Amino acid sequence: MSSVSRRMVLKGAALGALAYTVGGAEVLLSPREAHAQGLPLKVLTADERAALEALGETLLPGAKDAGLAHYVDQQLSVDPSESLLLARALGVMPPYADFYRAGLAGLDQSSRKAHGVKFAELAADKRAEFVEQIRQKVPEGWSGPPSPFFYFVSRGDAVDVYFGTVEGFERLGIPYMPHIIPIKRW
Amino acid sequence: MASAKVDVVIVGGGASGILLAAKLGQAGKKVVILEMGPPLGLDDLVSSQIWSRRLKWGGVPVVSEGKNPVAHNFQSGWGLGGAAMHQFANWPRFHPEDFRVRTQYGRGLDWPISYADLRPYYDRIQKEVGLSGDHVAEVWRPAGDPYPMPPIRWFKQAELLAEGFRKVGMRTAPMPLAINSVSYNGRPACIYDGWCEAGCPTGALVNPQVTYLPIAKKAGVEIRTDAYVTRVLVNAKGDRASGVEYYDKARERREQHADVVVLSAFSASNPRILLNSVNDKHPQGLANSSGLVGHYVAAHITFSAFAMFEENTENHMGTSGAFGMSQDGYVKDSHPGFGSYTWTIGVAMKPNDVLGFANSRPQLFGSALHDFMKRASRGLARIGVQAEELPSAENRVVLSDRKDAYGFPLARVIHSLDENSMQLFNHIRAEGDRIVKATRAKETWTNPSPGLAHFLGGTVMGKSAKDSVADGYGRTHDVGNLFITGGGLFPTIAGVHPTFTLHALTLRTADYMAKNWGAIAV
Ligand SMILES: Cc1cc2nc3c(=O)[nH]c(=O)nc-3n(C[C@H](O)[C@H](O)[C@H](O)COP(=O)(O)OP(=O)(O)OC[C@H]3O[C@@H](n4cnc5c(N)ncnc54)[C@H](O)[C@@H]3O)c2cc1C
Ligand code: SF4
Repeated sequence: MSSVSRRMVLKGAALGALAYTVGGAEVLLSPREAHAQGLPLKVLTADERAALEALGETLLPGAKDAGLAHYVDQQLSVDPSESLLLARALGVMPPYADFYRAGLAGLDQSSRKAHGVKFAELAADKRAEFVEQIRQKVPEGWSGPPSPFFYFVSRGDAVDVYFGTVEGFERLGIPYMPHIIPIKRW
Repeated sequence: MASAKVDVVIVGGGASGILLAAKLGQAGKKVVILEMGPPLGLDDLVSSQIWSRRLKWGGVPVVSEGKNPVAHNFQSGWGLGGAAMHQFANWPRFHPEDFRVRTQYGRGLDWPISYADLRPYYDRIQKEVGLSGDHVAEVWRPAGDPYPMPPIRWFKQAELLAEGFRKVGMRTAPMPLAINSVSYNGRPACIYDGWCEAGCPTGALVNPQVTYLPIAKKAGVEIRTDAYVTRVLVNAKGDRASGVEYYDKARERREQHADVVVLSAFSASNPRILLNSVNDKHPQGLANSSGLVGHYVAAHITFSAFAMFEENTENHMGTSGAFGMSQDGYVKDSHPGFGSYTWTIGVAMKPNDVLGFANSRPQLFGSALHDFMKRASRGLARIGVQAEELPSAENRVVLSDRKDAYGFPLARVIHSLDENSMQLFNHIRAEGDRIVKATRAKETWTNPSPGLAHFLGGTVMGKSAKDSVADGYGRTHDVGNLFITGGGLFPTIAGVHPTFTLHALTLRTADYMAKNWGAIAV
């Protein structure tokens, strides 16, 4: 990572926004804004994005519009030593993209095995049923990190983007009370 | 490339390294700290659980294995300030029997020093950095000076939970915290916003950046960040450390020579550096004639029980440290499962992250999770435990087959809880269940399996090179000018948090080094 983009990320820390590339220039946006503006992802493929958003929406409705995929994707594009992902705190081995790719592939493969379609193509009630299964036990056809752990990390990401923000605290009616505020709401 | 020789090179700019540097700098020594992580400052402490992860370990990966792997990345930190930048500041003392578990109970190991040896240093540290607490209410507390500040304020959550303890016949007291209940030494009082895990930028919480770092800087200590130490270098005879090898930000190999070398790089890196410092004189790694470098890794067994109250528990108010404690389970052989434990009563909580509302009910998702979050943000309350795990040589840091960018093997930590630990956990779980059920909460639940906190041992101290790596001052038995600081020295870990004790121990080492400099640095 160049020293310029590194500074952007650090400055982003103060703002509570992340560095995204729009029209070739780096701008600071919240993941929700990046999602709303339809910015392309840098690391995850279209299939991976669909699986992650479908999973996130099942785990915590609202996570998709809160910018779950843009948040995770942007974080996968930075050096692991700069990462804000829960995966870092939980000791997942970097590069974290390998973890997400393997988990999302496992989700689609095992969904295909059980239901004949990818996870994102399942009806909402079937998705919930399937998540309840992978939460408890690694299903047939799954490869990658153990499914209960992948559930735990993905759920944590969804909670981060939806509730772990100034806006999220407001939703719960909790005062944010920052010392150093992530100024831009995300 | 080698820099000019100094008196002392300290590896790791965290709690113990900065404390030692400050004291040796004040004693007139030329000290250099080499810290692997970035040059963090107070303005990096953004109030957000998400941003707090920049304070977590970001160095070379540590491979964690075993039946109960240690949560290395969660328990450690990097960058100037180390893990202590985002610690929760629960600072009880060890008890006298914690230093002589082998002699008194025939289990575990003994420390080479006693509580009486450490007591003056506990007293000095609490005065220097500031501790809040109530030494009278803390009926289990060993002899020591009263805390310099009254306890922190209790919010509703603490009162509601303490009622449960009272109803089952257990005593409670305020938790001694390294957090200012009133302004102290020019640092302000806590305002109870609960952002401690993201780092307290006001100075209300004891963090090296506001305690010993300013002293170290004033004393002329030189700090080099982004300096990744890989090995300790030795003289031609192999009996003295001559300095360390490190890689700087530009990935250049450098050497820093010094009369005295100190490893203050936390419990995974210290043994890793020693094991990687192999040479023909030390084929098993440096300071390892005992074969014990890396062994006796231990962690506190943790557990949480939850209560959902109808009342507003004000759980957004408080600190990441606990309001209260109970040590009615501290007597090691007074219950099933040998070992001491301390209950922690109530903490400020945030919605997200490892210890947030959502993870208190990890099985919930979808609309059920939304409902729960709404209720939790008003009524959730939590008690927790820190329980002693006995040392086992099987729990260890070894070198992995995987290597870093320079070809040095990574640390691989293997850790499992034994039957005794599980017995202790089951006893604690049953007791915790009784406590939360005795509160007026309608809904209570407990964590089904043990967690682990802190990461200690791996370079344990003892009386001789036969049974330990270092002596009671952290001086390695084999290499007289090589020292170790931090919780890695603990032969047994007691049933309380480690950081007050490791401060006291480091201060004792600093005194010893300053007084005996001629003999150490020959
Ligand atoms: C979330 C959290 C909560 C905590 N709460 C409490 C609590 O309530 N009570 C309590 O008593 N304790 C608590 N602790 C533990 C406390 O922070 C540690 O005990 C203390 O910081 C350890 O001090 P240290 O000097 O051994 O290590 P650290 O403070 O971690 O410093 C070690 C430093 O060494 C550096 N380093 C590592 N390897 C290398 C290398 N190869 N080269 C150069 N530098 C290197 C690291 O980057 C780091 O900065 C908590 C810790 C965490 C993470
Ligand atoms: S709760 Fe107190 S100690 Fe914790 S961050 Fe806030 S002011 Fe600092």
